[in-house]
Amino acid sequence: MLRALRAELVYFRPWLLGGLGIAFFVSTVLVVLTLLPSVGSDMPTFLPAMFPIIAGMVVSFIAQSYRSEEHRARLLLAGPLVPRQLAGVVVLLPVCLVGLGAAAGAVWLVVASWVTGPLESGSLTTLGVLTAQFLAYAQMGPLAQEATAARRQRRHRAAVVGWTFFVALVLFMVASQFVLGSIYGNAGLLVTVVTAMVVSAMLYPGRTDFTR
Amino acid sequence: MSDRCSEAGAAVRLSGLVKRFPGFELGPLDLTLEPGTVLALVGPNGAGKTTTLNCMAGLMVPDQGETEVFGAPVGPARTDYRRDVGYVGEENGFFRRWTVRRNLDYLEQFLPGWSRDRARGLADRLALPMDKPANKLSRGNRAKLALVAALAHGPRLLLLDEPTAGLDPVVRAEVLDVLWEITEDGEHAVLYSTHVLSDINRLADELVFLRDGHLVLRTGRDELSDRWRRVSFRLQDEDLRLDGVVEHRRVRAEHQIITRDAPATLQQLSELGAEAVEVARMSVDEIAVQILREGHHVARTES
Repeated sequence: MLRALRAELVYFRPWLLGGLGIAFFVSTVLVVLTLLPSVGSDMPTFLPAMFPIIAGMVVSFIAQSYRSEEHRARLLLAGPLVPRQLAGVVVLLPVCLVGLGAAAGAVWLVVASWVTGPLESGSLTTLGVLTAQFLAYAQMGPLAQEATAARRQRRHRAAVVGWTFFVALVLFMVASQFVLGSIYGNAGLLVTVVTAMVVSAMLYPGRTDFTR
Repeated sequence: MSDRCSEAGAAVRLSGLVKRFPGFELGPLDLTLEPGTVLALVGPNGAGKTTTLNCMAGLMVPDQGETEVFGAPVGPARTDYRRDVGYVGEENGFFRRWTVRRNLDYLEQFLPGWSRDRARGLADRLALPMDKPANKLSRGNRAKLALVAALAHGPRLLLLDEPTAGLDPVVRAEVLDVLWEITEDGEHAVLYSTHVLSDINRLADELVFLRDGHLVLRTGRDELSDRWRRVSFRLQDEDLRLDGVVEHRRVRAEHQIITRDAPATLQQLSELGAEAVEVARMSVDEIAVQILREGHHVARTES
């Protein structure tokens, strides 16, 4: 499974690098603007670091779309992998891509602090919360895909489970926004991410058609 | 379990296979394919050929029934059978932005039994452009890539879904040559679906006709071409009834028929005193078209 995951990461590396390049450009422009005396800003120092994480999330959506379009399951099921392991690739790929975006964001934050001055306290924690937030968005894609696949394959119970969790997790995520930054908000995001991953990973092996 | 599946038994065995989709049901389908046999699944679009192959390759889970490959049960969660199966479908899951070489290199680390020499030999033989991205390949070259990928791990069973559809005659001949050579040793079994009927003459030992998800007829290619004939004759008989006739055209006393049992029909014509009897062989293509047109009628009378 790890070999398949690594291959996907290598395959989507050009997208990730491109996305990070754009993110760093936007972040640089933001920092330069805030340094201009005529503009000035109270912009929080962690804000430019958010863009690389967004880039990771966007690439995870692109990856999900490409993998479906290229029918990757067909290739992987020709080898020694079983659907449970394929499900691992499906849910871990967004984690890796968003995680790499977050790592790039953290590096950016540290590098930018040499120019803008010391980091505000809690910047890295805030970055972690943002990462969880975008990871939660990224995991909603595979969950929706599995719920849709279940409905199409007439696995009605699985479809109901998938869509119920999808709606519940979206509502839970919205609720978490009101207490974001608190221990409850952070825990809520974490629960959203893990639950979405677990439900997607449980629904995937129940597929009756791996040709799409 | 050894890394190859059990040596004994059929290359493929389908027992009571049923797969349902909204508005379509495949089966129940029972089918056995022995090693050394090339079997063509023939049928119009939507007959269930691809679904049958997908179930055999373990890419689809049937609603009922079982599939075995060389004695090993088939399914997405099973792996024992995969070493023995090479599958060429319309879509094969390649990394489209990677080059042919990179795709093959990836598969090499991934598929047990992969032989780099075999892969390169086949790629050279088929003149596959190794440094071209998969998404820039022509349809013919995509089919070649799929074939190389399906053969390089040395499977004993090849499942081919329309392997020559849309290929130009030169590429089609190349692909058929490779398939022909593979089956020469008598150990490999090939099951391929096609609606390019001219391929049948070249490759298939046996034919299975599918229509609307049902097996209409299974027969040997030679048996088919030995028994089916187009016969014209002259006979004054208002109420002529002949055995084995699947098509009958008549203009006054002139008759033209297609029979699936030429000896019996000719015997009857002789007894009835038919004149100017002319018998013409039919190509497998013509017979296949006739069977698919007449589908259910032929199946009923064969049984």
